[in-house]
Amino acid sequence: MTTLTFHGIRKTFGPTVALENLDLEVHDGELISLLGPSGCGKTTALRIAAGFEIADSGAVQVGGTDITRSPAHRRNMGMVFQSYSLFPNLTVANNVDFGLRTRKIDKTERRRRVADMLDLVQLTSMANRYPHQLSGGQQQRVALARALAVQPEVLLLDEPLSALDAKVRLTLRDEIRRIQTELRITTLFVTHDQEEALGISDRIGVMSNGRLEQLGTPTEVYRTPANPFVARFVGTMNEIPATVAGPGAAQVAGHTVATDTGALAAGASVNLLARPEDLSLVDGGEGLPGSVTGTTFQGATTVVHVRLDTIDMLVAVSLAGTGAGGLAPGDRTSVRLDGSRVLCEAAG
Amino acid sequence: MTSTTPAGAVGAHATVDLLVDGAAPAPDKQLRSSAVGRKRWVGRIVPTIVIIVCAAYFVFPLLTLARWAMQKVPTVLLGWDTLFDKWSAKDLTLAFSDPPFWTALWMSLQLAIVTVLLTLLLLVPTAIWVHLRLPRARAFVEFLTVLPFMIPAIALVAGIVIVKPHARWFLNSDYSLVPFYMVLALPFTYRAIDAGLKAIDLRTLVDASRSLGAGWGSTLRRVLLPNLRAAIISSSFLTLAVVLGEYTIANVLLKDTLPTYQRVFVGREPQGGYGLFLLTLLVTIALFVALSVLTRPRVTPRRPFEPPVADAGATTAEVR
Repeated sequence: MTTLTFHGIRKTFGPTVALENLDLEVHDGELISLLGPSGCGKTTALRIAAGFEIADSGAVQVGGTDITRSPAHRRNMGMVFQSYSLFPNLTVANNVDFGLRTRKIDKTERRRRVADMLDLVQLTSMANRYPHQLSGGQQQRVALARALAVQPEVLLLDEPLSALDAKVRLTLRDEIRRIQTELRITTLFVTHDQEEALGISDRIGVMSNGRLEQLGTPTEVYRTPANPFVARFVGTMNEIPATVAGPGAAQVAGHTVATDTGALAAGASVNLLARPEDLSLVDGGEGLPGSVTGTTFQGATTVVHVRLDTIDMLVAVSLAGTGAGGLAPGDRTSVRLDGSRVLCEAAG
Repeated sequence: MTSTTPAGAVGAHATVDLLVDGAAPAPDKQLRSSAVGRKRWVGRIVPTIVIIVCAAYFVFPLLTLARWAMQKVPTVLLGWDTLFDKWSAKDLTLAFSDPPFWTALWMSLQLAIVTVLLTLLLLVPTAIWVHLRLPRARAFVEFLTVLPFMIPAIALVAGIVIVKPHARWFLNSDYSLVPFYMVLALPFTYRAIDAGLKAIDLRTLVDASRSLGAGWGSTLRRVLLPNLRAAIISSSFLTLAVVLGEYTIANVLLKDTLPTYQRVFVGREPQGGYGLFLLTLLVTIALFVALSVLTRPRVTPRRPFEPPVADAGATTAEVR
């Protein structure tokens, strides 16, 4: 059983704290994405796992063995990098063979594994090409094959899709997930793209300022964000200013919304965070009145942009299918908040 | 049809389309088309002129040197009317029958080989280290490497004169020239290696290699050196050119190298001496041509990969 565990990892670069007390366990065969903005420490965590950086304190374990101080080349890990990391002087086959030669595996076995890996990433016909003769997507697939050829205990993926165009990114994302599931390999995936993380992961770790803000399944992270940072970072979020009306209730422009106000005192200024799909359009005086400023058709959903009258702000309301009906800019409507899905944070 | 010409198909094609269609082209389109044609013509002619001027700058002195070395015509009579008179390659190879020439050439080649090897041994790991671990020190290292441009060889000679009484044991050896040559070649050699390192994604390649189980030695041998091949070859040739051309220090230290021999030989056999200069120059040019051929990126592998036939049925499930 191969688990990758970070125990209280702390890492600083001069005065900058890159990681603060990181505790994380990637279970056997699981794919965890570390998601966060630039500089949040996600790549540092990955590089510490790979052995390219040494933690100031804490421990990294693979399958229960402490590898904190092991040099990178002694750790049995496969890594795919953001920039195409293929060796330009070697053919596709020789790139895949590189790690096998390093491990002094016999020639017949090496040939078999290279052939298997190229078959796995569907690039057998490109075996004798050089990296400069491949597209970006093909290069990343070779990099993946090369990382997997050494049969690593853990696969580390450092934003492997970010240099690719949108269509290739989507295809390769699915391919990575297919291969990872097929091989049941423990994988740590670093990305700043929430859609990518939501689409590929068993669990997502959302990071900010060197801290792990939330670790959960994509649904948990999206539906029940642990804090406003996670709520804002994952998915789209409307922020509506309100005041606490009492325990479990906030007031927006004369309308009361039932929400968890925590320990906030009545009269305190708060922001209500609500996803577009947790808002609905109603007629009459049930909701917050406003005017439609535009609609965006997104295939399965339509987003309606409404400027609220009383607090003069723009909110996005996501409606299933063509639910926007015949709404056009300038039409009058009302927006209703589903209190059970609204997150409340103190303003300022 | 006037509007169906693709945006890129301007110039000659666009004009043909318009005429074939028979419709009268709009005057502004005609003007635009001729303006684009003019721009293209200028774009072709200007680089050609620059190339011709540059080629002339290099070729004419060489031709003059060739005439001086190989034409049996008195200097005062060298002109257009004697351009094809009395050419002879005899003096060009005059030095070859002079035994000290071979001794000096062998000495210079030995010095060149040792200088190249020591320079690479010192410079390649240093440059890699600076790029990987001390990127902030790059400007300082670059400054150090251009010092030989600012401190001329004659200043080094002055320094040698001062230390000579204390370092005879070293300066008496023919190989004492090597450190001086290394310093003199440094601005060229470091720049070649530095450019090579800048051209590759060094950190990622090193990280990728190490993540695949390669130690530093293996990474250097299997990843970095092959990818720095062009830089290393060009650095070596530049060092060779410096060693084969350096006269001042070799003369002060009383060493019999090719340049010191050439100086003596040209005094004895002026035409043969300049013939030798010409030959050295041509060999250097040939080396640089060889350099451009040697450093071309490979398109087909030496030993193509062939998947094992017996394992054709192996499944991906076996991989792990």
